[in-house]
Amino acid sequence: MLKIRNLSAYYGSVRALSGVTMHIREGEIVTLIGANGAGKTTLLNAVCGLVRKDGDLEFSGRSLQGLAPEEIVGLGLSQVPEGRQLFAPMTVAENLELGAYRRYRKESKAAINADLERVFQLFPRLQDRLAQQAGTMSGGEQQMLAIGRALMARPRLLLLDEPSLGLAPIVVEDILARLSQLRQEGVTILLVEQNARAALKVADRAYVLETGRIILSGPAADLLQDRQVTRAYLGRDYKEFTEGR
Amino acid sequence: MRQPEIEAMDRGEMELLQLERLQSTLTRAYRQVKFYRRQFDRLGLNLDDIRSLNDLARLPCTTRGDLSENYPYGLFAVPLRDIVRILSSPGTTEKPLVVGYAVPDVKLWLELLARLYVAAGVTREDILQIILPPGLANWRRDLQAGAEYLGSSVIPPATLNFAKELMVMRDYKTSVLVTTPPLARHLLTVMTRMDLDPAALSLKSALLVASPLAAEARREIEAGFQVKCATAYGITEVMGPGLAFSCGADGGLHFSEDHFYPEIIDPETGNPVPPGAPGELVITTLSTVAFPLVRFRSGDRTSLLQEPCACGRTLARLGEIAGRTDPIFSVGGIKVHPDQVGALIREALGGHPPKFSHRVVSEEGLEILDIELTVEEGFFSDEIKALECLCRQARRHLADHLGINARITLKELGLE
Repeated sequence: MLKIRNLSAYYGSVRALSGVTMHIREGEIVTLIGANGAGKTTLLNAVCGLVRKDGDLEFSGRSLQGLAPEEIVGLGLSQVPEGRQLFAPMTVAENLELGAYRRYRKESKAAINADLERVFQLFPRLQDRLAQQAGTMSGGEQQMLAIGRALMARPRLLLLDEPSLGLAPIVVEDILARLSQLRQEGVTILLVEQNARAALKVADRAYVLETGRIILSGPAADLLQDRQVTRAYLGRDYKEFTEGR
Repeated sequence: MRQPEIEAMDRGEMELLQLERLQSTLTRAYRQVKFYRRQFDRLGLNLDDIRSLNDLARLPCTTRGDLSENYPYGLFAVPLRDIVRILSSPGTTEKPLVVGYAVPDVKLWLELLARLYVAAGVTREDILQIILPPGLANWRRDLQAGAEYLGSSVIPPATLNFAKELMVMRDYKTSVLVTTPPLARHLLTVMTRMDLDPAALSLKSALLVASPLAAEARREIEAGFQVKCATAYGITEVMGPGLAFSCGADGGLHFSEDHFYPEIIDPETGNPVPPGAPGELVITTLSTVAFPLVRFRSGDRTSLLQEPCACGRTLARLGEIAGRTDPIFSVGGIKVHPDQVGALIREALGGHPPKFSHRVVSEEGLEILDIELTVEEGFFSDEIKALECLCRQARRHLADHLGINARITLKELGLE
């Protein structure tokens, strides 16, 4: 579904990603893990057309080269940004409606309402709080709203940036469990996480980024067992690599 | 097929998978193994220069000599405490070649073995009997573990005589025989001697490993045992037997391209050959964690066929393994370098550099290294008894160190 070849991306003059090649198949949950500053968010932003990039990106057979972010959204690719980025003073309902802003002209109100229903099925709590200001909700609820808003664009590929950020472990578990449910509804997911353990538990496959390059990839269950990964990203027993040689 | 999504993958998708795994392997090799970092730096190459699979050919090859020079752990890409298996293979010098496995490598290795067995038609209902000499320790362990992983019933290699092995084969209702082509042929001669009818056996197939299966030997074994033959290709430095395997369509050996990238080069110039042309097989690991190998020269002469196979697999196929590009030869599946033979005889002769010629002969299917040693003035006693004793010593030395059967005859200088 998404094919990336030799992607390099820049923040200003700093190269944050180098020669990244990866792919996501339809219906997969793929996670991208790595330390702070490894280039995870840059990769998502490059896919969405938000930063300067080199390389070949192809989504369902279409090149993303030269497309504006809103055109990329139009192809069926939505991002849930890090830190949620909700419209805090607006209500839950308004935030959700804004998520569908590209669709109002082309599609019927009924189709959009059907998607609202879908979001409520996934996150029933949002329905109870439709009139509440987004900024006054708890972190977990805000994250649900951010995902719900992205879903309103009817994405075929959902990109999530650190959905666990600042949330209690039990809330993280709940939100990540909803991702499996989403996948069953036909949404493909690319999940970027610093919380590697949680991400690897929900994902099918994973890529490990280290200072801008992919150093490992494989089935998520295998990487959960990999000692390089456990040391570096699961917070166990990290010492210099060369130690003991 | 064990993994149809991989084994019959669309070529374009396979190449993307190979490229992403190649790039991450090179990143790990560059960052974690000094030897590879130096190789890149020496040529002024950067990781970014490898943008396609074809770019791999810009990197130099890795040889068995490089492995020896980095003895024992110099090419490992993870700290030793992550290593769960350390394997040696004889190499070409006195230092063995050392390969390490981390936990994910062991899992990959088992999956590759399962893939090989499934392609050979083996199921968990089968009873496998493994008859391999101790000199093929790596193959013995690999094939036993892989069959157990698949869930078949395994009769592991034992040190029984061949008549006993055949009795076990008949009475235990072995359905799959795992052995080498020479041993399979030897078993046939023993069967004839015992007057054992293949119809009394329950064999349905034979998996023949460790040395190439010639068409004639194959016909003889298939007719003699009334079975279908399967075969596999592997080298210890690159994870052993699961590297390539035959299928029901017999169109060559399917190469596990998702985990290993094959190239065929001209052994003289080192340049890639045109598609389908013969040359030396060069292998780059794409998934192994502990021991990444970049462009490892296998020494085996073969070719690579990209056309899809009648069996439905799209994995490229190795053609016939048509000999070696180096002096290494095989005695009953055990790889031997002439220098090793020379060094061992020299040791047995108390340090005197020997003059000898050698060839591999087959007796009742068994392969024996036939060595003709030239007797020189003064280097040992001319008493027949003492000479025979030296020959025995040399023979035992070769058996101990290489696990091969040898026969040594003496030739006096000037007598033809």
